[in-house]
Amino acid sequence: MTSASGPLLALTGVNTFYGQAQVHFDLSITVARGHIVCLLGGNASGKSTTMKIILGLVKPRSGEVSFDGASLIGLTTPQIVRRGIASVPEARRLFADMSVRENILMGAFVRNDRDAVAQDLDKMLTLFPKLGQRLSQRAGSLSGGEQQMAAMARALMSRPRMIVMDEPTMGLSPLYVDRVLELIRTINREGVSVFMVEQNASLALDIAHEAYVLQTGRIVLSGPARELRDDPRIRDAYLGGAEAAT
Amino acid sequence: MSSWLDYTINGLIVGNVYALVAVGLALIFGVSRLINFAQGSIYLVGAYIGWVAVVQLHTPLPLTIILVAVVAALVGLIIERFGLRPLQNSVRIAPLLATIGISFVLDQLVMLTFSPNPRALPSQLPDVRFQVGGGTIGPLDLLIAGVGLTSALLLFAFLRYSKLGWAVRAASQDRDAAMQMGVDVNRVNQAVFGIAAALGGVSGLLVGMYYNQIDTAMSLQATLKGVVAEVVGGAGNVPGAVVGSLLLGLVESYGVAVFGTSYRNLFAFLLLVVVLVLRPNGLFASARQAPPEPLTGTFIAPSRPLRIPRWALLVTAAVFAILPFFPVSFYVLQTLINAWLLGMLALSLTLVAGTVGQVSLGHAALLAIGAYTSALLSLTLSVPVGLAIIAGGLMSAALGTLLISPSFRLRGHYVSIATLAIGEIVSLVILNWESVTRGPIGISGIPPLSLFGYDLISPASIYWFSFVVMVVLALLQGRLLGSHLGRSFRAIRDDDIAARAYGLSLNRYKSLAFIFGGFAAGVSGGIAAHLYSYINHETFNTQQSILALTVVILGGLGNVVGAIVGAVALVGLPEVFRIAAEYRILIYGIVLLLLVRFRPQGLLGTI
Repeated sequence: MTSASGPLLALTGVNTFYGQAQVHFDLSITVARGHIVCLLGGNASGKSTTMKIILGLVKPRSGEVSFDGASLIGLTTPQIVRRGIASVPEARRLFADMSVRENILMGAFVRNDRDAVAQDLDKMLTLFPKLGQRLSQRAGSLSGGEQQMAAMARALMSRPRMIVMDEPTMGLSPLYVDRVLELIRTINREGVSVFMVEQNASLALDIAHEAYVLQTGRIVLSGPARELRDDPRIRDAYLGGAEAAT
Repeated sequence: MSSWLDYTINGLIVGNVYALVAVGLALIFGVSRLINFAQGSIYLVGAYIGWVAVVQLHTPLPLTIILVAVVAALVGLIIERFGLRPLQNSVRIAPLLATIGISFVLDQLVMLTFSPNPRALPSQLPDVRFQVGGGTIGPLDLLIAGVGLTSALLLFAFLRYSKLGWAVRAASQDRDAAMQMGVDVNRVNQAVFGIAAALGGVSGLLVGMYYNQIDTAMSLQATLKGVVAEVVGGAGNVPGAVVGSLLLGLVESYGVAVFGTSYRNLFAFLLLVVVLVLRPNGLFASARQAPPEPLTGTFIAPSRPLRIPRWALLVTAAVFAILPFFPVSFYVLQTLINAWLLGMLALSLTLVAGTVGQVSLGHAALLAIGAYTSALLSLTLSVPVGLAIIAGGLMSAALGTLLISPSFRLRGHYVSIATLAIGEIVSLVILNWESVTRGPIGISGIPPLSLFGYDLISPASIYWFSFVVMVVLALLQGRLLGSHLGRSFRAIRDDDIAARAYGLSLNRYKSLAFIFGGFAAGVSGGIAAHLYSYINHETFNTQQSILALTVVILGGLGNVVGAIVGAVALVGLPEVFRIAAEYRILIYGIVLLLLVRFRPQGLLGTI
């Protein structure tokens, strides 16, 4: 089913509008198979909208979005999810009144292989041991870090080929930030591509293969993460403040 | 006399029936954040399908129940697919208005098919009663309890163990996140409407059997009771809806035991208002805070209002002013008098619902207050009619604002529910406060319109009187909207949080709007009372409130000229086309539906 050539995800020349206001200007982004790609940018740069475009929650006015060589334009969100894209939304968005177990299993909504789903649930509990003690609790009662774990487990349950994550480290304690980044690496090593939107550039560049910098709807910088980390423009815009403080 | 145990059993049985309606409402609210005002109509359809099955097809009871559930579910699916799904990306008020329109259409279709006369709906069960403790219980009670319990168990199992049930729960907690798990929200909506309709239809059947009578007035009552139970339990909370329903049944039953049958509904609506004021998220909302309603601004379809040149308005007004000099028939004048009276009500509602964004569904109550005040003052205290009408306006302004003030802290759909309940309360108080209002007998022999001692008997003089009053009110309202007050009103409508941050006191401005609107509506009611010479508690009913809302939407929310144009159109067009009276409400419902779907900004545009 996988055509081995070409990028897994490609946005080409995307223009997006909210009413009169243009959010994206000729946006082009590619995610190579097996890579972690991060999209950096400040507030109101259009980062989250990029995620919504990929997931079909917002329709671009023009441009092409393709996954594994096939266009996603015109597909509904559930159809896109069935193609193999899972998401960890901004602020986790767990189903607060459902139990942690139900939340994780909701991730497997598109699957019909019950036995394999049960096995995957066990696998998640080894990957996220903390969740094991919380399975029957209301998801809304988890701490922020635990919720992030649950949201990641939920996303993995669909056996996705790619996970898109909106600010996975937002609002987490430093301890959990490190855990989450480590887990993203682990997930990626198992063959899942990752597209993540982040404000925290230094953290994101540590684990990403490639990165794009979005500014008021335009890509102003892109390249291998290692190069961007040393790029003076990135240092000025994103890392400078942190260095000046130390 | 019956024992307390009997009242308890009765309360629980009736509560069980309410629960079937309320659970459906809660499911729908959970998934689409919509109060389905058509739920009572499905209940009505269920009752009449049941009548056809029992009386004409002679089906056995289990088959009757299944038949009713299936047909009602089909009606629910049709409503979802053709009435609501097209409105998914429309303004937030659109689906609510659409369900109101659908309920008008369904109710009228049932009425036209079966006639408005009540019918007997026999239960086919043996008429025996068993002694239980100090009370009695019959087979029908057991059937209702059984159906209620079975439905609850089936619903619980569906939500807990089926994949679609999980999708329903996930979608009701976070629609977008559910979609990102691959949930098809349209299918969820379909399932929810089908289930809600099946439950509602069966509820109608059981109620019809319980009272051995069905009629078309059941519909609105069922919607109201269901909404009360649902809001008491916490909107969107399914177990809460069941508890709220049983509570409502008991409150009503004990209320009836102490005060008498005519107080039944009064207790229901008082319970609603108390809950809305004290615990707007329902009795069981602790952690599960209902998600905030969207900012009220998104309620109004944005548009560029049509600019009408001043001379055109003047010419039109002049033509209408000199109309009685021409040989027009009494019938034309009569129709236009009705239009002017409705126009005054529409002016009031377009200010409150359009300019300030508080979509009131109980506006007829303001008419009633004005009408009763004016009628009683002139009749019992011999106050001159002109003064009495003004007093009626003032009373509507004061009392109406006071009554509606508990809803000032509410937003969005909750305002509509609260105003609907307050409207019903006013009508019920009029019914029960016999020493002042003469109760169900109504007030007859109200003196005719008069001005400075001259009776206005001729159609032309009544025409001029109502026309001038309406024009004066319209001019005043125009001035009001042009001042800084108008700006503040619109600021509150468009973003009440921002308005508050700029130091606007919401309560004060909402009060001002209701005072001005209450006066206009009260004057309209006062004039109507002297014109009709007889009024009772049903003269000004919810149907008029909805008609006024349709007029206001037709003209364009907030649009002063639009309100009058809308009134003339909705009163006049059925006359022009000679549409028989029984089809008019049907036409109004269809007009409302078409407007919401194709031109939510109305004819002249929202302001």
